[in-house]
Amino acid sequence: MTATAQALPRRRFRLPFSPWHLVLVPATLALIFPFVWLVVTSVETPAEALHFPPVLIPHELHFANYPNALAAAPFGRFFLNSAVVAVTTVLCNLVFCSLAGYAFARLRFLGRGLFFAVIMTTLMVPFQVTMIPQFIITKWLGVHVLAQVGINHLGALILPNAATAFGIFFLRQFFRTLPVEYEESARVDGANRLKVLWRIVLPLSAPALATLAALTFLDSWNNFLWPLIAVTSTNQMTVPLGLATFQGAHATEWTLLMAGNVMSLVPMLLIFVVAQRYFVRSVAATGLAGT
Amino acid sequence: MAAPSVLLRRRRTAEPGRGRPAPGGAARRRPGRTEQLTGWAFITPGVAIILLFGAVPIVWSAVMSFQSNNLLTGNTPYVGLRNYRLMLHDPVVAQAVQHTFVYTALFVPGTMIVGLFLAVAMNRKIRFISVYRTAAYATMAISTISEAIVFIWLFDPSYGVVNYFLSLVGIPPQQFLNSPSQALFVIVAMTIWGWTGFSVVIYLAALQGVPQMLMDAAAVDGASKWTTFRRVTLPLLSPASLFLAVWLTINALQLFDEVYLSTQGGPLNATTVLVYYLYDQAFVNFNFGYASAIAYFLFLIIIVVTAIQFRAGRRFTHYRS
Amino acid sequence: MRTHWVSLTVASCLVALGLAACGSDASSGGSGGGHTISIWEGWTGAEAKEFTHLVGVYQKQNPGTTISSLYVNNDNTLQKVLTAVRGGSPPDIAYLYGSWAPNVAQIPQVVNLTKVVQRPGVNWNDFWVGERDVATVNGKVIGVPALVDNLAVVYNKTLFAQAHLPVPSANWTWQQFVSDAAKLTNPAKKQFGTAYVTPGSEDTVWHWEVLLWEAGGQILKPGNKQAAFDSPAGLMALNTIRQMAVTDHSMYLDPTDSAYANLFNSGKIGMLVTGPWDLSGFPNIHYGVQIMPSFPGTTGGHQTISGPDNWVIFNNGASQTAAAEKFLLWLTAPAQVKSWSLATGDLPTRHSVETTPGFMSAMNKALPGVDTFVTNLGNVHQARPQTAAYPKVSQILGTMIVSVLLGKSQPQAALSSAAQQVNQALASSNG
Repeated sequence: MTATAQALPRRRFRLPFSPWHLVLVPATLALIFPFVWLVVTSVETPAEALHFPPVLIPHELHFANYPNALAAAPFGRFFLNSAVVAVTTVLCNLVFCSLAGYAFARLRFLGRGLFFAVIMTTLMVPFQVTMIPQFIITKWLGVHVLAQVGINHLGALILPNAATAFGIFFLRQFFRTLPVEYEESARVDGANRLKVLWRIVLPLSAPALATLAALTFLDSWNNFLWPLIAVTSTNQMTVPLGLATFQGAHATEWTLLMAGNVMSLVPMLLIFVVAQRYFVRSVAATGLAGT
Repeated sequence: MAAPSVLLRRRRTAEPGRGRPAPGGAARRRPGRTEQLTGWAFITPGVAIILLFGAVPIVWSAVMSFQSNNLLTGNTPYVGLRNYRLMLHDPVVAQAVQHTFVYTALFVPGTMIVGLFLAVAMNRKIRFISVYRTAAYATMAISTISEAIVFIWLFDPSYGVVNYFLSLVGIPPQQFLNSPSQALFVIVAMTIWGWTGFSVVIYLAALQGVPQMLMDAAAVDGASKWTTFRRVTLPLLSPASLFLAVWLTINALQLFDEVYLSTQGGPLNATTVLVYYLYDQAFVNFNFGYASAIAYFLFLIIIVVTAIQFRAGRRFTHYRS
Repeated sequence: MRTHWVSLTVASCLVALGLAACGSDASSGGSGGGHTISIWEGWTGAEAKEFTHLVGVYQKQNPGTTISSLYVNNDNTLQKVLTAVRGGSPPDIAYLYGSWAPNVAQIPQVVNLTKVVQRPGVNWNDFWVGERDVATVNGKVIGVPALVDNLAVVYNKTLFAQAHLPVPSANWTWQQFVSDAAKLTNPAKKQFGTAYVTPGSEDTVWHWEVLLWEAGGQILKPGNKQAAFDSPAGLMALNTIRQMAVTDHSMYLDPTDSAYANLFNSGKIGMLVTGPWDLSGFPNIHYGVQIMPSFPGTTGGHQTISGPDNWVIFNNGASQTAAAEKFLLWLTAPAQVKSWSLATGDLPTRHSVETTPGFMSAMNKALPGVDTFVTNLGNVHQARPQTAAYPKVSQILGTMIVSVLLGKSQPQAALSSAAQQVNQALASSNG
């Protein structure tokens, strides 16, 4: 890679690997050390987890924490619930936020600035204040519109987040960095806006869409406060609510909680690993090289 | 990704047209009826959801801020501006505002700089790069309680690792979370750590839009790596920087979880930020009307700060490919 | 790939709807005249297992009644309950902290249990006086006791032996506590004599209130409109902890309320003032339990403080309420209380259970040291003021205690200032 070739100074000593590793390894260690504690606690005996300062090299490994955690509450159901909610939320966001983000980025229509401002303002009031009206609205929807989006249904966990100001704002910023010429030439060829979005803009936006997908998945998976309020029966609980069953007001089962946390991390990391593939788009794939 | 010739974005040559439908295949764009309708149609699903679940509750809460409401009885008499007047005289609100601003001023630039540095470092195809990137992302996935526990331990005055390292260089042990003057900085450190991954991910996505050809062209012209970075890369990253600055600020001004899980606003209100104080008023002291008023005050602050950022952003961001 | 995307969205929406439809209706009534009672509780570990067991027993004995329990961390229950109440869907029963009782009593949907607990067979006076005081607000009984505890001193026998100190005896004094703490402190080993939690919350406050009571003081004057802690007793209580924190440096200050127990379990702290809930967190040391020390020459004796919690019933209709009452009265009957305490190590909420033959020895075998906590229930003589303004009082006291412990203010000045603020707060509230 050209950057590496430029970086190597003319010295006799040459590292057998890129010098960036010397930066990235300590940085990564600094980023992941809490995970070390997390994973170690998840394989400790409960008694050993009750030390302070925390024990980082346990005397015996206790992998039983994992099956014990899964057995303590219906986690199979919780994982399924969380997965359904997260995947649906991500897909809805990709669709709705692309449409809206593109409109805010490229189209001119009455009220564009106003709507965008209003959307942004919804980010600015903390949830502790809006949760009660949101509960009432959700309950009303469940009774008068569609039962599946009412209280104690997964739809209630999906719908309020099916489009987020974050997604719209993020995609709008990204779309604006794309060269408008590609879209214009497509429109010259007679394509309507939807086709332009679908055929030109979205393929060019793979990194942004992958990022949005990964972040939305993470947000949805880890969401705690709204599910806490909206769920009233155990079989509708999501993974964070399930993990909370290990955290009593006076005593916490740390080893089970951390085992649960590790298992909860796996889907999020998998999504990110998959999303990473779209982070770097080669020119050849878009067929626009040399345009 | 795009030829250098399209670097300079040509101004749109379309004039606002009225009435006359564009002949098929016209290159000029006018915000005619089609564009208007298309615009509205595209934004409808997203805006509808956000308005229903975001705007309606906000208006509702605004109404609550003019009431005396303890959330217990349904009796919520209208009290006009009393909650707002109480707020002006509440010394804790003044402290909370100060702490919120200090926190934001440290957290936002800190996270952006660390994230940018790491994103640039991770924007290359070397071995294990997926591992490094996943590690950055994973910091966002960790539960706040785990993050809090680890940082509380690291910064423990007697048993923590940070004081141990400080002692190695001759600095006496610090009180950190026990000290009203230091506790907020520990929270800053904790949250920068927690949000770095977000910053990295955003910048990584944006860096994909920086054409390698440009950087090579600059190098050919004799520019140093730092100059290339400053003159080529940074401006091209400015939309992402604006996005991050706005997003991180909005979140920083609403800090809650880390405070709730560690210091609970203490010691002596040193880490009481606005959202923590309003939670305390709502669910510990049963003053929900007052809490709504504080939320509105915070809302105004955030609007003003965000508007300033967008305005400044207009001057400094370059929407080029 | 693009068509896959669209069909993926559609497919997952369908799956979501399908799952949502088939999973959720656990709250509809059972077959033919049966009831489903929803109960929100925060039991974990052994308590959760025992609760599930008891629920199973009740359901078998009462076919047609289903108890649908939902786990909610006790700290979060208030937010969830208040939201549900405002939204018109409260649960049938919820576990609510006793400290919330004066405010919870104002919720119109809370069922008045005064007549219910006087029913024959319930034996209301069998519950400890501290519990009854916390379940009663302005003469109205709003809850049935769910849990009781109290504060005593847990000490590390090994550390006492290493310091050649005799272990605390039942008639020990605060002077001995302070001197023991100083002798147990060893900076070289990073070992502290005792600890105190300093987040400024009620946890900080009630650890001091017990000293205030032992010194013969009161928190508020009768009528709950004026501060009474600004007294020689209050000064004595404050000076005692100040001595350890500021002068002797024998007190580990825990601002996050999370490290002290594990520190004690790691042998780094000599004595803790804490409750029975912490005992199961000390598997790695030899500990002993002793009742609180006293201030000689005062009327307080070895008094302690207790923090009971309540089961509260919400009105979802007469038949739901009746079913909920029936379940709660069964759950808190002596037989179930005994079974609960033996299985979980929680203190028995009923006096009669304590005197059941074999009970105490069985309890102590399962959880060593808990017998002292049980007998210590007899040292609970009063409860904290049952006023809706108590949270504000608590915050003022919390700030006062923390500022003294951090050395930021002098005890007398802090007391006076806090008393002034409390009087102001009480005057502007409507109790």
